[in-house]
Amino acid sequence: MHADALSALGNLFGDRLRTSLETRICYSFDATRKTFLPDAVVYPVSAEEVRQTVLLANRHRFPVVPRGAGTGFSGGSLPVRGGVVLSTERMDRIVSIDTENLYAVVEPGVVTETLKAAARERGLFYPPDPASLKFSTIGGNIAECSGGMSAVKYGVTRDYVLGLEAVLGTGELLRTGVATAKGVVGYDLTRMLVGSEGTLGIVTRATLRLLPHPEAAVTVLALFRTNRDASGAVNAVVAAKVTPSAMEIMDRTAIDCVRAVAKVPLPAGTGSALLFEVDGTADSTAREADRVEEACRAHGALEVRRASDMKGRDELWKLRRAISPTLLQLGAVKLNEDIVVPRSRLADMFDFLADLSGRSDVRIVNFGHAGDGNIHVNIMISGADEDETRRAEEAVAEVFRKTVAMGGTISGEHGVGISKAPFLEMEVGPLGVAVMKRLKECFDPNGILNPGKIFLDEAAVRG
Amino acid sequence: MKDADLKALTGLCAKCGTCRTVCTLYPERKTEIAVARGKIALIEAAMRGEDGDAEGVQEALTDCLLCGRCERACPNQVLVEEIVMKGRADLAEEVGIPAWKRVLFGKVMPSPAATGIARKAAAAGQRLLPGKIPTASGLHYRFPDGLGGKGRTVPKLPGKGFLESLGKAEAAAGEVMLFVGCVFDHVFPGVGRAAYETVKASGKSVAVFRDAACCGLPAMVSGDRRSAAECAEANVRRLRAAEPGAIVFPCGSCLLMFKRNVFSLLPKGTPGYDDATYVAERAVDYASFLLSSGVLDRIPDPPSGQNVGEIGYHDPCHLSGTLGKGPEAREALSRAVGPAFAEMAGADLCCGYGGTFNVRDYPTSSRIGETKVTVAARGGTKVISTACSGCVLQMRDMAARTDPALRVVHIAELVHQALFRK
Repeated sequence: MHADALSALGNLFGDRLRTSLETRICYSFDATRKTFLPDAVVYPVSAEEVRQTVLLANRHRFPVVPRGAGTGFSGGSLPVRGGVVLSTERMDRIVSIDTENLYAVVEPGVVTETLKAAARERGLFYPPDPASLKFSTIGGNIAECSGGMSAVKYGVTRDYVLGLEAVLGTGELLRTGVATAKGVVGYDLTRMLVGSEGTLGIVTRATLRLLPHPEAAVTVLALFRTNRDASGAVNAVVAAKVTPSAMEIMDRTAIDCVRAVAKVPLPAGTGSALLFEVDGTADSTAREADRVEEACRAHGALEVRRASDMKGRDELWKLRRAISPTLLQLGAVKLNEDIVVPRSRLADMFDFLADLSGRSDVRIVNFGHAGDGNIHVNIMISGADEDETRRAEEAVAEVFRKTVAMGGTISGEHGVGISKAPFLEMEVGPLGVAVMKRLKECFDPNGILNPGKIFLDEAAVRG
Repeated sequence: MKDADLKALTGLCAKCGTCRTVCTLYPERKTEIAVARGKIALIEAAMRGEDGDAEGVQEALTDCLLCGRCERACPNQVLVEEIVMKGRADLAEEVGIPAWKRVLFGKVMPSPAATGIARKAAAAGQRLLPGKIPTASGLHYRFPDGLGGKGRTVPKLPGKGFLESLGKAEAAAGEVMLFVGCVFDHVFPGVGRAAYETVKASGKSVAVFRDAACCGLPAMVSGDRRSAAECAEANVRRLRAAEPGAIVFPCGSCLLMFKRNVFSLLPKGTPGYDDATYVAERAVDYASFLLSSGVLDRIPDPPSGQNVGEIGYHDPCHLSGTLGKGPEAREALSRAVGPAFAEMAGADLCCGYGGTFNVRDYPTSSRIGETKVTVAARGGTKVISTACSGCVLQMRDMAARTDPALRVVHIAELVHQALFRK
């Protein structure tokens, strides 16, 4: 970056501009574990500072890469072309919570869990629950349109964003959306920005829809012999007119991983597990849990367990929560994909993945949000064997081709970032990519905001 | 940086960000460089040869309280404390450590005689300080603002340390050995005395470890592994020679040193390893000893004189967090003071001391500490009890800053009071 640009940033941010190598290294990574060094890091505390940063970027032509907590799995916050990482972690105020009209106004750096807790204190509910909710930020969730366990019933981040304030690539401050329950005026610029991975605008404030908090919840764990049995039960639960707030699936390898750690006794022959949660009133949850149990038993469940108190529910959730940390037993490197297929095709996808694992000779562990058809396909490799790495990468491409062929999508919640950019056209087609690029030019004519993301970029490939 | 072990240790970090949620320092710094995954990224970059400025990395690694919260929260069980300490040690070899630390760790702390002399000199010098202030826990001195941190108060150092106050014949040998620790010997001899007399109430013969060097933790966390190993090796050799059945530690940090950290200094294959193992197997925290030895059964009658719920317990990071010894202290406390004990608001919040961190960045250390004691006091706690020397030092200072009526004591003082109540 040019010295004049750094000096102008220094005037703007004072000691909130950091250029030491140490700080730059600390903002060079995310959960993909890839690294790209930025030239500087800034910590704005207001929309005006964000705006001034983007104006300077236009004048001096340097990239601005917004970053929440850097917890993404697709490289969305990596500075692949250097420039300035704009960290929103100091814009972390919950501005207001409107208990009558059921919405919250927050700054982008608010940690998702913090908002959920603040809403809960007032008897309200902010449903999106990405696995990273304890550390990821609302701004990052909006940029990536994060999902989570409860998406099957409550939807994803997009469904709770009523309106946004964002700085566009031009440095203009745009306000979109509404603070009311409805609003259909003009193009939906709010949705345009949600999931745009910081390439169209930098969110500086968000108005988020809240719901009344459910009174009660019941957790049901059902153990099956095969993924096909479990997938059948998922569809049967939906057919029984129950919409659980979570419907999670784990395959045999995932179960084997957690067996030792979770210390949950499992019957012999367990090859697949489903974890359901139903929420609502005490009466309705009891009835719905009954229906879930019936559907599971009808589809060959080896065993069904159920809990309605916090301690018992935690015990059942242990199995699911233990997966991620235990995966490293299987390999030092995890290729972590998040495909979605139509729910009715779950069993077919599981069969395909089992076959692919055998053909490619790589370990594939599958678990995820069965209710959404969202499977976390984790290919575990040592990282030290070139041939194994090549086979794994080919397997990933094959998974994506199969997903699209089944009418699915290559990312349910991680976003495109840099890791799925090579496959974007496979899903959206050449015209889709072209229109997206035209939109990008409209919001960010000089290509200032988060370059190298979504669309294939040589710099990102090199990293 | 060259330590090959570091690569294996850091390789487990998935950069997920869990450590951000629990880091004691992060709310103060609001930057990635403060948290574990940032520090690990720095070490990884250094191992790849991308570190331009070793002093900058050293500065970043030093900026950590080693409270271990990140390590306990980490889904991949990354050994953050060990990584940070190894990183500091490698860098200390490369760029050195400050001169005052070199003298303190290398010359004063390994020698029981030298620490006594240092205390006497400090006690004499302390009288020259202005600003005596009264507090519930005794007289403190307030440091002048330019020296040692704005508003800092320090305890009045005694003329005689605890060990010095013991008669020569007293506690020369016994089946139980008490490791008092530097602070409870030289700064708060009353705590040392209370621990000694309550451990003696077990009816077992109790010896006090008189040849103690510093446990070595301050040197180790500062990257001075040579001084730390020297302290540790001398201690375990002398302790083993005394052949105690159990070694009781009133200070959680000293205990951590002998239970766990010592093996990083005296690993398998080194001459000190067997002695270290012998000591680690017998090392026990003060509260666990009270529970197992029947001391608490000797409390004469149901305790009275304290208001219900006014005594809380602060979890020292090393003792409760790293070593998992939280329930024992609470059980002992309940038995000693009855319903006066209640779970304290923010019991597991770090006090912000962090050993040399408190010297290095007193303003931050005291902000964290003030939050700690304020949360406790707002919850209704009037007496904060704990079981670590650093926490006692810090929280007494914080109480003096925020609320002079708030008392900070070691649990041994409460047990002593209950046992020998008149």
